[in-house]
Amino acid sequence: MSKFIYLTATPEALIASMLPPAEFGAYLSTGTKKRNKGQALFFEVDLGHIEKLIDMDSLNRRCVAKADGKPKSSVYLSVYRVLETIPLSALKSLYLTTDNGNTHELKKSPYDLSREITGKLHLFQELLPVNPLVATELPPSVFLKKLTDGSTPIVLPKLFFVDLKLGELATNPAKGQIENLPYSNIGHLRDCLEILKGEYEKHMKTVQRVYSGSLLYRTIESGFYVGSKDEIIFYRYPDMEELENNNYEFFRSI
Amino acid sequence: MVSLPGATSFEVMAIWSVLVIAFFGLAYAMFLRRQVMACDKGTEKMQDVWDGIRVGANAYLKRQLKTIVPLIFVFTVILFLSVYVVPPTEESKLRFVGYSDQSLKLIIGFGRAVAFIMGSIFSLMVGQFGMRMAVQANVRVASASRRSFAEALKIAYRAGTVTGMLTDGLGLLGGTLIFIVFGVASPDTLLGFGFGGTLLALFMRVGGGIYTKAADVGADLVGKVEAGLPEDDERNAAVIADLVGDNVGDCAGMAADIFESYEVTIVSALILGVVLFTQTHELSWIIFPLLVRGIGVLSSIIGTYLVKGGKEANANNALKAINKGFYSSAAISIAAFGILAYFYLGEWRSFLSVVVGILLAIVLDEITKHYTDGHYHPVKDIAKNAKTGSATLLLKGMSYGFEVAVWQTLVIATTIFASVMIYYGQPITYVLYGVAMTGIGMLTLTGNNVAMDAFGPIADNANGIGELSHLDKDARKIMDALDATGNTTKAITKGVAIGSAVIAAVALFGSFITDVTKVQIQMGFEKTAQLLETGIRVSVPMVFIGLLIGGTIPFLFSSLSISAVTRAAAEIVEEVRRQFRIPGIIERTVKPDYQKAVDICTVSAQRELIPLALIAVLSPIFVGSLLGVEALGGFLAGVILSGQLLAVFMASAGGAWDNAKKTIEDGLYGGKGSDAHHAAVVGDTVGDPLKDTAGPALNPMIKVINLVSLLAAPVIIAYQIPGHTSLGMFITGAICLLIIVGAITFSKRGGFKKIPFEA
Repeated sequence: MSKFIYLTATPEALIASMLPPAEFGAYLSTGTKKRNKGQALFFEVDLGHIEKLIDMDSLNRRCVAKADGKPKSSVYLSVYRVLETIPLSALKSLYLTTDNGNTHELKKSPYDLSREITGKLHLFQELLPVNPLVATELPPSVFLKKLTDGSTPIVLPKLFFVDLKLGELATNPAKGQIENLPYSNIGHLRDCLEILKGEYEKHMKTVQRVYSGSLLYRTIESGFYVGSKDEIIFYRYPDMEELENNNYEFFRSI
Repeated sequence: MVSLPGATSFEVMAIWSVLVIAFFGLAYAMFLRRQVMACDKGTEKMQDVWDGIRVGANAYLKRQLKTIVPLIFVFTVILFLSVYVVPPTEESKLRFVGYSDQSLKLIIGFGRAVAFIMGSIFSLMVGQFGMRMAVQANVRVASASRRSFAEALKIAYRAGTVTGMLTDGLGLLGGTLIFIVFGVASPDTLLGFGFGGTLLALFMRVGGGIYTKAADVGADLVGKVEAGLPEDDERNAAVIADLVGDNVGDCAGMAADIFESYEVTIVSALILGVVLFTQTHELSWIIFPLLVRGIGVLSSIIGTYLVKGGKEANANNALKAINKGFYSSAAISIAAFGILAYFYLGEWRSFLSVVVGILLAIVLDEITKHYTDGHYHPVKDIAKNAKTGSATLLLKGMSYGFEVAVWQTLVIATTIFASVMIYYGQPITYVLYGVAMTGIGMLTLTGNNVAMDAFGPIADNANGIGELSHLDKDARKIMDALDATGNTTKAITKGVAIGSAVIAAVALFGSFITDVTKVQIQMGFEKTAQLLETGIRVSVPMVFIGLLIGGTIPFLFSSLSISAVTRAAAEIVEEVRRQFRIPGIIERTVKPDYQKAVDICTVSAQRELIPLALIAVLSPIFVGSLLGVEALGGFLAGVILSGQLLAVFMASAGGAWDNAKKTIEDGLYGGKGSDAHHAAVVGDTVGDPLKDTAGPALNPMIKVINLVSLLAAPVIIAYQIPGHTSLGMFITGAICLLIIVGAITFSKRGGFKKIPFEA
């Protein structure tokens, strides 16, 4: 049986498993006894790129099939500050799992910097290594760079975040319709966005300090971003029609 | 054999033609059944899942029979003996001239008993055959969805039409046969026919409602909410019970419910028609309703056969195809009624009453659709309120539920007013006949309505089979579209079922007044003391008390049935949790014991039948024997009014909450998992027993109470000294009260002792 290495977002951990991504996602989200449920986000990591970073002997010893022949579900290799340690080149596909165990794969997509729209507000849910919900006027690449290049007092070694929908609030925070936005305390979000549109120079505003651990997959705008400074990996999120056609089970679960 | 004084050859031929049409309707049902059964049942896995549903459904039907058959026997004996308390009417003496009093009593007693058995068995057949057809069809629809949308739609709709045509054919057959044998004496026996159908419908509605929601709520609470399993997950031990429940509630229960409305409207039209015949000596008062029913069956056959799906799999296409069939039948019916009125009646009043009935069905459809369909403002508004939590969502849903009750009741009031206008200046019997004809018109398209309703559980089950047997995406999309269509058609037909129940009850109410008056005349009451003259005076304290008690009965009924669902759902929750703890079930290496959950639902549903039926049967006898016949009239008015308002409120609010949840699941406000969705799930769970248990159970309950009142009224008049309560009546009332209190206690405790489950 093959071994897979995964970098999970909640909790931040490097996990070896004999389960392929879809089964690993189901295992993470619902467990083996169905006692728990919760969505999961994880990257598949190329073992070849990180062999030098982990204890391969330990991995080979621990990640073996069970006595009854069933594959080993998870062997924790590392927790805490994992993303900063793993080279970006080692990251393969990103997997999103619903809380009932349906998984969707997002492949790396080319990111066209020239198509970034300026003058529009964004809502980014940071996922690793910290996870506040942040409103900003910076487009994704600039946002990523600003938080990772050392130009501000607070610096992150790498950042993994997702771009969320703002609807009309992206261009008109004061009067834009909030009809279909599911965020709680929408008045506060509007206030935050208005501050960014205000007269004094402020590029980012924390909307929520604590992440619930659960993303509403229908609210994802462009997709997921992971990177550091000028290096950016983009995982495009499909629109609903595409999702319905390509992964109906996942589509029905969100 | 047809013995009708003064009947023209056309009229005799017309009656026989109606009988032939009834058989033709049944033959069409058999033809469609054969078509459906010829379709393939798909893969082994699909058939394996289906087998679980089939076994569960059979277990329910078997247990239901065991509970019901002894009751049919008891009531048959009571109805036979009733002729010795209430003598045959003058019309019976006219029909069976030359027979001695004893022979006449035997004939009528036997007729009542046989009519009761026929009504019961027909109702049972509609429910049981319909449900078996639905179970046979679901796997075939799932299989056809692997090939094409049009084929899957055709099988699902035609299987539903089998139940629709059974309802049509048997309803028409029963009424016509009784009329052919008993002629003008048929009112003496028709009540037995109506009572049989209604009592069985009550059993099937109550039992089906409790079963379906106990399974649904129980399966959802543990499977979806606790364990995060998707809908119809094979690891959920209640999944098969849930699928069986859809058939039990929406197919067997609803079909029997509409069947008895169909029966009861023809019963009341014939009773009132005979009264008018004795006054005017025109047979058309009796023949026209039968001919209208016959035409309705033919137009339903044409309309239902026209339903064919397009290529693209979406709910709109399916709904369009079904609507096309419905409106085609409506147009054909109206045109044929017009021709019949012109050439046979030579006047338009009865025709107008029937057309008002068809329009009423359409208007009620539209109102229900407006308030419960996700495409319209009310459901969107309810969904929007989910953003601020379950409390606001519930309040908004209740608000709209109350609103629909107002509009629907006003529409029904307008319809009755239309009858008043159509028969303006005529005595009240004409107006009541007009109301009965409106009921006949409303249920003209019963074949289509029942087909639409039965389509729902078939599509729902097909989707479940698809999910459990892991069919591919394209097939699932087709089944999802059919399932969504089924949800809409089910909600629409609920509106018609409630509306028809009320119209039927009002028509029966009219029959009650005329029948009571007939007995009062026979008993030698002075004209000023006859009910038709005095009316039902709310200003009389006893009548007002009757009105108040009548108003409480639907609330009592709803309270007990919702409580029964809660109790049974809790048992299901415990059972599913227990099975989750069994090693291997979650890992899919061990199959859950689906039968256990099926048994819990079956036992719980049957356990509640007797107490609720006793309340419906005995409450009018209690009121009538203690407070008198006029108070019984007040009691009926109270039952009809509060029953109608409550039933519409519950069905509409429940339907609206359900679709508000679906709207959110389709992507609004973040979709599944959002705070709005959590609130909507609460709304849907609260609404489930309202719309599928308590609300629908009120329809047959209203009519059972009406028919029992009709049957009991002559006895009450015969044994009650005006202005006084006789000892015998007092004792009867007291016994009824004691039994009712016992039934309530039994129901609230969930039985005197725990009934063991039967495998």
